[in-house]
Amino acid sequence: MSNISIGQFFPGNSIIHRLDPRMKLVLTFIYIIVIFLCKNFYALGVMVLSLFVIVLVSKIPLKIIAKSIKPILIIIIFTAILNVFYVDKGNMLFEWHFLKVTTGGIYTAVFMIVRITALVVASSMLTYTTSPTLITDGIEQLLSPLKFMKNSVHTIAMMMTIALRFIPTLVDEFEKITNAQKARGADLETGTLLERAKALIPVLVPLFITSFRRAYELAFAMECRCYHGAEGRTRMKVMKYSKLDVFASLFILISTGGVVALNILFPHLI
Amino acid sequence: MDKDVILKFDNVYFTYDEETQDGIEPHWAVSGVSLDVHKGDFIAVLGHNGSGKSTLSKLSNAILIPDKGQVSVNGIPTTDEEQTMTIRQHVGMVFQNPDNQIVATVVEEDVAFGPENLGLAPEEIRKRVDDALKAVGMYDFREMEPHKLSGGQKQRIAIAGIIAMQPECIVLDESTAMLDPKGRKEVMSTIKSLHDDLGMAVVFITHNMDEAVMADKVVVMEKGKILLSGTPREVFMNVDEIRRVGLDVPQSTLLSMRLGLKDEVLTPVECAEAIINDWK
Repeated sequence: MSNISIGQFFPGNSIIHRLDPRMKLVLTFIYIIVIFLCKNFYALGVMVLSLFVIVLVSKIPLKIIAKSIKPILIIIIFTAILNVFYVDKGNMLFEWHFLKVTTGGIYTAVFMIVRITALVVASSMLTYTTSPTLITDGIEQLLSPLKFMKNSVHTIAMMMTIALRFIPTLVDEFEKITNAQKARGADLETGTLLERAKALIPVLVPLFITSFRRAYELAFAMECRCYHGAEGRTRMKVMKYSKLDVFASLFILISTGGVVALNILFPHLI
Repeated sequence: MDKDVILKFDNVYFTYDEETQDGIEPHWAVSGVSLDVHKGDFIAVLGHNGSGKSTLSKLSNAILIPDKGQVSVNGIPTTDEEQTMTIRQHVGMVFQNPDNQIVATVVEEDVAFGPENLGLAPEEIRKRVDDALKAVGMYDFREMEPHKLSGGQKQRIAIAGIIAMQPECIVLDESTAMLDPKGRKEVMSTIKSLHDDLGMAVVFITHNMDEAVMADKVVVMEKGKILLSGTPREVFMNVDEIRRVGLDVPQSTLLSMRLGLKDEVLTPVECAEAIINDWK
């Protein structure tokens, strides 16, 4: 399992990859808000178009991006169906007892599908193009001006880094213990769901115990390397905003401007 | 005080017992140990499990504080809490399990962890990280994820993480115990080059007699006390004593003993020479 990669980071060297993680975090956040502010298809179209440009520039294969939508497909379908039947506007297309389908309902449903998809793809673009370490560092740096909670921000970021670092180690360990228990006759693959869940207990208990031991040793090792929290700590890699970040923010700014203008021009969905 | 002494144990006692009752002597994990580590020393500490050798290592950089006696680093006693960071910077420590020492998800970021904690400037950290990675021969792996490396490579990263803090003394607590023979060799030659090329004082704790032979000085511990100490040659001549405390002597020494050769033999090469000489 040593080939496991952490998170869903897709390494690369595109312009999107090279943006400052702080800028990416902020811009993604703004993008998501603007998506929610879109009032009509024209405005939404602008956002989808700009997202399309971002995806193309990032050179992430479309297949991978399609994968990010898969887990929320059910939610998308569910929202779409609800909207089709609930919204009662425009021309009646179909009526059966209490079920009514109107043109307004269809439009709203399509609008919602596009909106949720854009939302998910936009946030996946952040995780695809930024390594988890950089995201945590970015969050830490962004929140660091909040002096009163500086220490807790650092602690949380450090915890996230360590958690990420230990995922592959624990996956390895899990496999080892599973095999050891199987060698002793444990049956993990057959039986009802409850039985299988119960069979996992002899795997999880040792995993927990070794994790505590690891934590203890890691704490020792960190102390030996002079770790004493955020105070007086510097970083080797200092994040710097570059021209790229200015371009990226302008790009999002223009898209936002477009959305606002189109919202005013066309106050209705269609 | 001797100027060259980096790490000084002065009649040190330590117990893990929580409560010590009056009149009853507690179980001392380390009991009356005195040891000086000088600049450029290469010391091997031997002892079987529970002999107090790991406790000794933890006493050396203020992870543990002695109950009696004093441990000092460059003249600073480890009881001085204000100076704990200075002490830990001077005496670096590498543990047994490389997985439990690596903090970051990228090799170079992990090596940078120590210097970052010291609050150095980014350029200085960059330089130290590169130097440290080159010193352990892992520079080409700097952008890898640690979990994709072998045990020996991970341990070398852990060592790089320590030497990036530029300590004067590095303590290795059974750092080769979990490695395969290849990893062991890599790590031992790394340690040797730290001592020979960078002039760092090395204290390494081990079970392995063949590794101990590489040291300039060997200390054998038993029940928290120093049983034997001296050059490997001096120490390993006490075959009976060493076997009594559950340790082995190097195989070459044992072979030449069994053959009844008079030469004091430590390494396979010396052993071969002794046999040839005897045959002549």
